[in-house]
Amino acid sequence: MKSKVLAFGLTAATAFAGPAMADKLDDIIASGTLRCAVVLDFPPMGSKDADNNPIGFDVDYCNDLAAALGVTAEVVETTFPERIPALMSGRVDVAVASTSDTLERAKTVGVSIPYYAFENAVVARPGLEMASWEDMKGKVVGATAGTYEAIWLEGQVKAWGAGEFRPFQNQADVFLALSQGQLDATVGTMEVANANVASGNFGDIKVVDKAPMVPDYVALITLREEYGLINYMNLFINQQVRTGRYAELYKKWVGEGVPANLTITGVYR
Amino acid sequence: MFNYSFRWNQAFQSLPDMLQGALVTLEVAVLSMILGILFAILLTSFRLSGNRVLRGITTTWVEVARNTPALFQIYMAFFGLAGLGIAITGWTQPHLGFAVDLRLSPYVALLAGITFNNAGYLHENFRGALKAIPDTQTRSARSLGMSAPQAFGYVVMPQMLRISFLPMTNQFVWAILMTSLGAVISMNSDLFGVTDNLVKINFRTFEMFAIAAVIFYVMTKIVTLSARLIAARLFRY
Amino acid sequence: MFETAMTAKDFWMLVQGAGMTLLVTAISVAIGTVVGVICGIFRFQAGPWWAIPVTFVLDVCRSVPLLIQLSLAFAFVTAVLKLRISGFSVACGVLSLYTAAYCSEIVRGALESVPPNTRRAGRSLGMTWLQDMRYIALPLASRVALPSWIGLSLGVMKDSALIYVVNVSELMKSTKDLITRLQEPLFLLLLCGVFYFVISFPVARFGSYLEKRWSND
Repeated sequence: MKSKVLAFGLTAATAFAGPAMADKLDDIIASGTLRCAVVLDFPPMGSKDADNNPIGFDVDYCNDLAAALGVTAEVVETTFPERIPALMSGRVDVAVASTSDTLERAKTVGVSIPYYAFENAVVARPGLEMASWEDMKGKVVGATAGTYEAIWLEGQVKAWGAGEFRPFQNQADVFLALSQGQLDATVGTMEVANANVASGNFGDIKVVDKAPMVPDYVALITLREEYGLINYMNLFINQQVRTGRYAELYKKWVGEGVPANLTITGVYR
Repeated sequence: MFNYSFRWNQAFQSLPDMLQGALVTLEVAVLSMILGILFAILLTSFRLSGNRVLRGITTTWVEVARNTPALFQIYMAFFGLAGLGIAITGWTQPHLGFAVDLRLSPYVALLAGITFNNAGYLHENFRGALKAIPDTQTRSARSLGMSAPQAFGYVVMPQMLRISFLPMTNQFVWAILMTSLGAVISMNSDLFGVTDNLVKINFRTFEMFAIAAVIFYVMTKIVTLSARLIAARLFRY
Repeated sequence: MFETAMTAKDFWMLVQGAGMTLLVTAISVAIGTVVGVICGIFRFQAGPWWAIPVTFVLDVCRSVPLLIQLSLAFAFVTAVLKLRISGFSVACGVLSLYTAAYCSEIVRGALESVPPNTRRAGRSLGMTWLQDMRYIALPLASRVALPSWIGLSLGVMKDSALIYVVNVSELMKSTKDLITRLQEPLFLLLLCGVFYFVISFPVARFGSYLEKRWSND
């Protein structure tokens, strides 16, 4: 059941239509700014420094993409749940926001090839001993509403038939609730979990186990119909890996070690 | 431009879940009203007691409830109280050897927050209503041999509740609307929580919230209309 | 318990948040009052039947949670109409309508409290409807309405805590941003509460003073 607001469309088309073929890629280059949605309560991918300036892996990727396009980057802060609405409403051009490339999301937005891959970790609250991820059964668990790990976790709680799932509005509230013991455990990306544990801001929280999920491949997203831009972003991601910038930024934000492999054997993409 | 595809179908599939959520919303609102009225009566009796400490409790409660946002109160009930528990524990654990746990579940925290707010506003309604009841009534009740609490309970309070019946229905409507703030503290079983969670997965923001808005409107209309009917029945004289 | 990592710059951020809260409130109350007064007079003058469309719209604004109104308006304006409008404008628009809804109720109630005989006397002296409104009805009604209007303005100020959903960094959002960085929820929340209280309390007291003073004459 799709009905399109054509009446508006027709009047608007005559009023606002620019050159017929101009797409988002042209618009960005013409306007001279690339507006990226970035989540800033998600260190080391995105956070704020003491002067409230955005920093992190995603922020750098946004800057790199803007530099490649020859425009200036504008980082627009969003929460995880707000990323896609911000894109749909035209507040941002792309989201460089660690967005998992789920099939559900691809119904609404256009997804590039993966630019990063997370392992997900189970993090326990201070004072709670857990041996493995299965100890989450029957506990109070939570995550940021609508994220890849939240959907997985809610599914687990339903499958176990025990315990309780609580969705929070943003990543910061999840860790706040965890550190205050309102959650027994959460599932979050390994990088973020490690960064939060290391920060010492959240008391005695600890990483327990890997969550047995398919690796969480994250992609750049833009509007579904903007093939020109999606194509450009794919090449951009490829170039980042090829030139070693990917490994460089991994080292800068995540630490020593080998960054995740972004290809999957046995299938094209 | 202007080519938003409405997917009402997808939104309507969630209607049963949302109606289920509406019941939870009503439940929280009703409980918060009952508790709110009880606390407001308690606060009123504190204020009339003449004891400075009790009066201070009333003043603090009422002024904080009326001068800070409901969102703040609910956030405080969930995150603030838990933090307070930890802070107190930091002192009691080494010195007295016990821990203080002030963690509330989202449901209880939401209920506590709305009750706190309700009690503050209802206290003011009651205060206005009490002004309308002549002092002579208490005095004649006392002269008939009633004790002060009896005079308040049997003579003054019923009238007070009747006079403030309409303001109370307004507060009830607000209580229903305030349940929407539960999503901020991870409440996901009430109407807003259910809707908000679905929106964050299927991104049909406009469609889903439009349906939720209609349900909220119908709920508040039912409440105000039935309150009017009840008032017409009860207070006909 | 109260040793904090908060810097003067962080405190300034809260002050800016409070400034944003006040700015949005001022704009919304100003627009909302004008619209509310017009709607209130119209509803009073036109009678319940003719005013149904106006009453219905304003009634919806009072029966749907503000959080939904804001999300809905923002989604409609930006995603459906695809207009480039800031969250700030949407917040002001929604809060203005919200103010107007309650304000029209206050105005109508206040006009109804003016004794009809007083107004008839005015009209029989040859005053026009406009003169009667200007010199008799509105001055009398404003005495009844002002305390409620002050209460309404404070209500809008407090409800503006919800405009974080449309990405406006007002007091509550600034507080939450700081909590994210400093991880001192209790202290920062209390500070935020103090800000609201300091803004609201004196005005509320002034309102009840007016109410007391004007009801005894």
